[in-house]
Amino acid sequence: MKDEEIDDVLKRAAGPPPEVDTALIQRITGSIGANLRPVRPLPPTWLLRMVVAIVCAGAAAIAGVALGIQGLQKMHLAEAATLFAALAVFIWLAAESCVSEMVPGSRHIMTPKRLMAAACVAMIAIFALLFRGYHVEQFVAQGLPCLRAGLALAAPVALACWLVLRRGLAVDRSAAGLAFGILAGLSGFAMLELHCPNFEAAHVMVWHTAVPLLSGLAGLLVVWRRR
Amino acid sequence: MSRYQEGDPGAACALVTRLSPQLYRFFLSQFVSRAHADDLLQETWMRIHEARHTYRPGEPVLPWFYAIARHIRVDHYRKAQRRATRELPMEESAEPVQPAAADPPGHSDLETLLATLPESQREVVALLKVSGMSLEEVARATSSSVGAVKQKAHRAYEKLRQLLGGAEAPASRKGAAS
Repeated sequence: MKDEEIDDVLKRAAGPPPEVDTALIQRITGSIGANLRPVRPLPPTWLLRMVVAIVCAGAAAIAGVALGIQGLQKMHLAEAATLFAALAVFIWLAAESCVSEMVPGSRHIMTPKRLMAAACVAMIAIFALLFRGYHVEQFVAQGLPCLRAGLALAAPVALACWLVLRRGLAVDRSAAGLAFGILAGLSGFAMLELHCPNFEAAHVMVWHTAVPLLSGLAGLLVVWRRR
Repeated sequence: MSRYQEGDPGAACALVTRLSPQLYRFFLSQFVSRAHADDLLQETWMRIHEARHTYRPGEPVLPWFYAIARHIRVDHYRKAQRRATRELPMEESAEPVQPAAADPPGHSDLETLLATLPESQREVVALLKVSGMSLEEVARATSSSVGAVKQKAHRAYEKLRQLLGGAEAPASRKGAAS
């Protein structure tokens, strides 16, 4: 059986659109008409995306400078270019994801779940290429402060991004929570790359990459608790 | 839609009258009873009204409406699931349950066909073939990519082909994704 024949079967099975009770239509138009006021549409999505990305990158830069940019100073130019170019791409994708989740009917480049997986895998791959050293002495003692600092920055960034997009409507709240969490986590991650001078591969792969991962999960948790 | 955002009551009335049958059919194709479809339609319009500022003039309008309608349906389904797990089954009903009002002709046929499909495939087929949206519009309405929509439509058509015509050789695959 050809696809066109299945199309015909489906069309015949569906028939004409069903009639909706006129009383129901009147009730709906009455409710809508009762409080119909002009509204200001959301700003263009490119503008929202840009504002959210600037909030995220700006917060990372300010926090990095405030804490000291020892990490950036210790990096070679090629290392810094590779790492921050990749980070810029993922921050842009995360900003796009946040805006798509808050504007119904938007085009989605990547779902937040895939974005999280892609960001973590890409960052681990870049760290594996750029850095060496898998020593585990002081692994937890040196890692926990980085994780704490990254997550401490992620929380206000998530709040600021939500304030920018608060007029939107999240049709899938879990996906929106995850997207906001990842974006905020990437801000914390970027701050750590500017600040942290520990280039042990094991340290950056685990503790730095854990920031967007845990922040994304925290975003999900916040949404689930509010249900 | 722009005139509705500007507060034109005529535009609001025209939108409700024109789009309600399509949204209603979408709910019915997702195995919602007529009584529940009435509730969902009303709730969808209330949500559309509250969120009308989120529509961007110049963007496709149908994906925006269906994204909200789909969200209402999923919410309704989750609430019903939660209620079902909390409530204990009644041993004996005090009054006999009234039979549901007869469905319109055609609805039960479509329901029988779509019943063989998993929920996500059923939704894509309903939006593509019953609501008449394009792949891009369905991708926007379901918050997924065009590739994912194509894949779901293809799998759904494979199942429907088996159901409707046995294992005839698929001469053309173009229709499922167009």
